[in-house]
Amino acid sequence: MVNGFSPATLQEALEIRARHSVTPYAGGTDLMINPDPDAVYLFVNHIPEMKQIEQRGDQLHLGAACTYTQLLEHPLTPAILKAAIDLIAAPAIRNEGTIGGNIANGSAKADSVLIFFVADASLKLNSQSAERIIPIRDFYRERKQLDLRPDELITEIILPTKWLDHYYYKKVGARKALAISRVVFAGLLTWQDDVIAHCATAFGAVSGVVLRCPELDALLIGKTRSEAQAAKAGYLAAFGDMIAPIQGRVSAEYRKEVCLNLLTDFLTSNGI
Amino acid sequence: MNQGIVFKLNGQPVSYTGSAADRLLDVLRQTYRLTGVKCGCNEGECGACSVLIDGHLANSCMVAMGRVENCEVTTIEGYSQTERFQVLEQAYAAVSAVQCGYCIPGMILASECVLARHPHPSETEIRLGLSGNLCRCTGYNAIVKAIQIAAEKGEGLW
Amino acid sequence: MMPISQSVIKKDHLAKACGQAMYVADYDTTQMLQGLILRSPHAHAKILSMTYPPLPEGYFTVDYRDVPGINEVHIVKDDTPVYADATVEYIGDPIMMLVGPDERELERLLAQIEVNYELLPAIIDVRDGDTAFFDYHFGKGDMDQAWAEADQIFEECFETGYQEQAYLEPQGLIADYNQGKITVRGSMQCPYYVHGALAKALGLTPDKVRVIQDVTGGGFGGKEDYPSILACQVAVAAYKAKGQPVRVIFGRREDMEFTSKRHPSRCTYKAAVKNGRVTALDADVIFNAGAYTTLSAVVLQRGIIAASGVYDIPALKVHGAAIKTNTVPNGAYRGFGAPQTFFAVEMLMEHIANALDEEPLAFKLRHMVRQGSVTSTGGRYHFPVPLPAMVDEVRKMSDFEQKRQVYARQQTGTTRRGIGISLWFHGAGFTGSGERDIIKAVTRLHKLADGRVEILASQSDIGQGIKTTLCKIVANELNLPLDQVSYDNPDTDRVPDSGPTVASRSLMTVGELLRRAAIRLRSQWQEGVEQTVEEHFKEPDFVIPFYIDKFQGDAYPTYAWGVCAVEVAVDTLTGVNEITGTWASFDVGTPIDLNIVIGQMEGGLLQGLGYASMEQLAADQKGRIRNHSFSDYIIPTAMDVPLMKVQLHVEAYPDGPYGAKGAGELPLVGAAPAYMSALEQALAGPINHIPFSAEDALKLIRQSRRA
Ligand SMILES: Cc1cc2nc3c(=O)[nH]c(=O)nc-3n(C[C@H](O)[C@H](O)[C@H](O)COP(=O)(O)OP(=O)(O)OC[C@H]3O[C@@H](n4cnc5c(N)ncnc54)[C@H](O)[C@@H]3O)c2cc1C
Ligand code: FES
Ligand code: FES
Repeated sequence: MVNGFSPATLQEALEIRARHSVTPYAGGTDLMINPDPDAVYLFVNHIPEMKQIEQRGDQLHLGAACTYTQLLEHPLTPAILKAAIDLIAAPAIRNEGTIGGNIANGSAKADSVLIFFVADASLKLNSQSAERIIPIRDFYRERKQLDLRPDELITEIILPTKWLDHYYYKKVGARKALAISRVVFAGLLTWQDDVIAHCATAFGAVSGVVLRCPELDALLIGKTRSEAQAAKAGYLAAFGDMIAPIQGRVSAEYRKEVCLNLLTDFLTSNGI
Repeated sequence: MNQGIVFKLNGQPVSYTGSAADRLLDVLRQTYRLTGVKCGCNEGECGACSVLIDGHLANSCMVAMGRVENCEVTTIEGYSQTERFQVLEQAYAAVSAVQCGYCIPGMILASECVLARHPHPSETEIRLGLSGNLCRCTGYNAIVKAIQIAAEKGEGLW
Repeated sequence: MMPISQSVIKKDHLAKACGQAMYVADYDTTQMLQGLILRSPHAHAKILSMTYPPLPEGYFTVDYRDVPGINEVHIVKDDTPVYADATVEYIGDPIMMLVGPDERELERLLAQIEVNYELLPAIIDVRDGDTAFFDYHFGKGDMDQAWAEADQIFEECFETGYQEQAYLEPQGLIADYNQGKITVRGSMQCPYYVHGALAKALGLTPDKVRVIQDVTGGGFGGKEDYPSILACQVAVAAYKAKGQPVRVIFGRREDMEFTSKRHPSRCTYKAAVKNGRVTALDADVIFNAGAYTTLSAVVLQRGIIAASGVYDIPALKVHGAAIKTNTVPNGAYRGFGAPQTFFAVEMLMEHIANALDEEPLAFKLRHMVRQGSVTSTGGRYHFPVPLPAMVDEVRKMSDFEQKRQVYARQQTGTTRRGIGISLWFHGAGFTGSGERDIIKAVTRLHKLADGRVEILASQSDIGQGIKTTLCKIVANELNLPLDQVSYDNPDTDRVPDSGPTVASRSLMTVGELLRRAAIRLRSQWQEGVEQTVEEHFKEPDFVIPFYIDKFQGDAYPTYAWGVCAVEVAVDTLTGVNEITGTWASFDVGTPIDLNIVIGQMEGGLLQGLGYASMEQLAADQKGRIRNHSFSDYIIPTAMDVPLMKVQLHVEAYPDGPYGAKGAGELPLVGAAPAYMSALEQALAGPINHIPFSAEDALKLIRQSRRA
């Protein structure tokens, strides 16, 4: 085809990626907003290796070219991811848009990315000559700066599923559907034997990259309820220092206040 | 690299020899003169350009031609030849759900997808199914009603 | 219900449903040239010079020097130039058009055009404005006495923002100049407005100008005056192209950024209260007109006439001004100035009631006008005012009292609920004597030999169903099946000027003319012969003549009425609110088609709710409209107001066809105050501006927490 490649296998795709200057095209729902008329696309939307969904032990492997609709309909997709996907755009966009595209677009408003951050997911990146697996937090260096080499494709998202059951999720958009996040928050908290075994939080749309501070969440881990209650104020204050939203259409002050309200509610709803 | 993009358009095999980066919307309207596919925004936000790709709803303004290789693309022109369309069209007529009409080809295809997924949809399932298709005229109630009527009248079709 | 109210299948239904209806962008473009407009990047500047790049064959430029007639667009006052000559007055002011066969090439070439400007001081904020395009004063009663005797004085300022019509089909027109005649076709509400503008700009006699409306994808006022401007620009290009049609179709961005919107407003109200009753009202109404006058005069007139809402207030002083700013000119949008003043007066009444510790609805009901009451302009409400009955209907539907009481109690948790109600009218038809003195509508019925009848009128079906309703009226009077009566999209070569498709007048005024024409045709009916009858507008006898210089008399012959309740739930963590229910009763007289009227009511109501909340649009400090896409200008989706119940209350109007009066604009006008009243209850704090955002709500929550 003119200005495009449509490989049938991952191997083929990686060969093209190595030899030509191409733009990977998954669902096109970011690319086509402002398309480069001279782009040469590498269509990865139907590559079978990039569409698989598979649980291996404690880890769920999601093909990067899985569409939102595919994930919504799949029994292995964790509830927290479904909750986030449910609020992404509308059916037509969800039918085409992919999680790989959401990640590679590099936006801190990307709704599935928030879930991958809070879950401490890793990405599998493949080139013709190598494969590497890196934590998503390392993949995002800063706003729109990704650790993606020109010959690589994101092929898989590896999602640890152990702590995903007890979650809190809230997205603030401008309306009830078809809305980009103005603030979005996800939290995970699991009690085991009356102590907090796991706590993780992430904030979207407030800084250049999704905000995830495991060192702060660690303040609560291992604590009993009363200890956690005692640590609550310090925990919230620490996040108050961390959250410094960039000015946007919606004011930074508002977004910060909402973040802290949601964080507080997350704790309250967990009895803290 | 100069082979055309082969796909089925409203049931007919076609081969598009232009760029794989061209917008499906533009190609449908200009090359194939299927002007029932409307352009309301060119950025995925309104649904006026909705088509079916392999039976799934898609915004044709957000699709590059290379994506539809070996796929089946259905526009309102093709869909309007079906029995399901007739049921939907009559249901829309019964409640006068068509005002300016600009959103309607897209709405009807979105309605098809609602019913294909949920032959007996709840009101929320209908509204979710339409949530990417903006209509400035109707306030949506009549369209929701039309889909409910179609579900009833078209029992067994979906 | 009258038999005529029974719904039929709309005339244009099938063509639109199966995608066959031809909108202006749908015509084959292979023989057409495209036009691209160069616009000012500055809010105010003098054009010193322009340099055009060398153009490839087949490309040419069009600017003010090419205007064959007068470089003015005829609207009301003709200060809008076809193309800017000496100065540019807002960001987006059209300077010239580049015309040629290929759009990408046009974009490339347009970027090479050099314009030298001398920047001039620009007024962006309306509060800095020093030019009042229009400045009106009127009043009644003894203000001084009311003020002197008042127990309490209330003063408050209310602000409303822009609203974008956001019709789904962007503006677009095609012009063709052939054998001394210009033809313009496309998306529009008012073919004869466009016709008049073209004759002036092209210097042609009316018979050399032809305007055809194509299927139009929504208007809501946005295609009332704007197509006149675009038509002149495209027609001048076609005039120069000599024989090849020129087409301009806006993209969403150009449409949102540079076409007219609802006027932002600042209304400062003072009220005198004595013995629990408002005795006087002083309203100062400021509309931001933008850079040219366009329709601001008439929008402002309608706005200030509604300044006292549905309330009978003995003394009234009203000042209205449309202030020039160097921003995009504002124009018509469904409601036409009234949503602004109704927001102000409804919220004011709420606030006074709250201060007096009275339920706002009861307080409002005590002040309501009734049949025979004097209007703000000294006219009369000649017909019964059905508001009390409508209020009862809405109370029942929404379970208003019960909810209002429950939500008034202390609320806990992270959800706050509230319910509110608003009351309003919409004057039916043109303001004042416009219909009699300016429009002078003419319609014709043309009967073919085979007995089929064609309606000849200049009304545009822009989705509101006028094609169907007019045919129903004529078919009914002639006892013909509906398919024997037809009404095509107007073509000024074929139809008389029955006036514009605006002001909720088409059905009431033109429908009545056609009904009378049909009665006449019936009485003259001859089998097998072609016949034509013509009918001219005549003002009803009861109307008290209106004088616009004094704002005295009947501004409208009659009124449509609206009552709406809105219920909300606010999330105190985010400030985001959800509309959990909307219930409304509307009186538009006899519905000529139940489905069509309900469709108008529901669609308009949703626009009104959007106006109050999510539809945020602003100009930045330089005067550039920031929200120019559907991702940035948010309108409601099917998910946003799932529960919306509308019912009709029929108070038939004797001078409208079968009792019909104006319908189109009514449902939008007073939706915002009901919504804001509900939010006030939920948030326990006062609201005096719209759009009201989640951020505003959070601020209010914080304040009431402190209090
Ligand atoms: C109307 C509308 C509403 C939207 N709403 C939301 C929303 O609510 N929430 C949200 O998060 N997003 C939203 N989006 C953005 C978009 O839909 C998502 O980001 C989507 O996940 C992008 O996926 P895609 O497959 O379509 O990406 P594409 O457009 O195909 O690609 C995006 C980028 O990723 C690159 N890329 C894609 N796949 C790979 C890969 N496997 N390896 C390397 N690079 C790759 C592409 O080259 C490109 O740079 C919306 C978009 C639109 C148009
Ligand atoms: S034109 Fe494609 S979604 Fe609006
Ligand atoms: S009918 Fe006009 S936009 Fe839906």
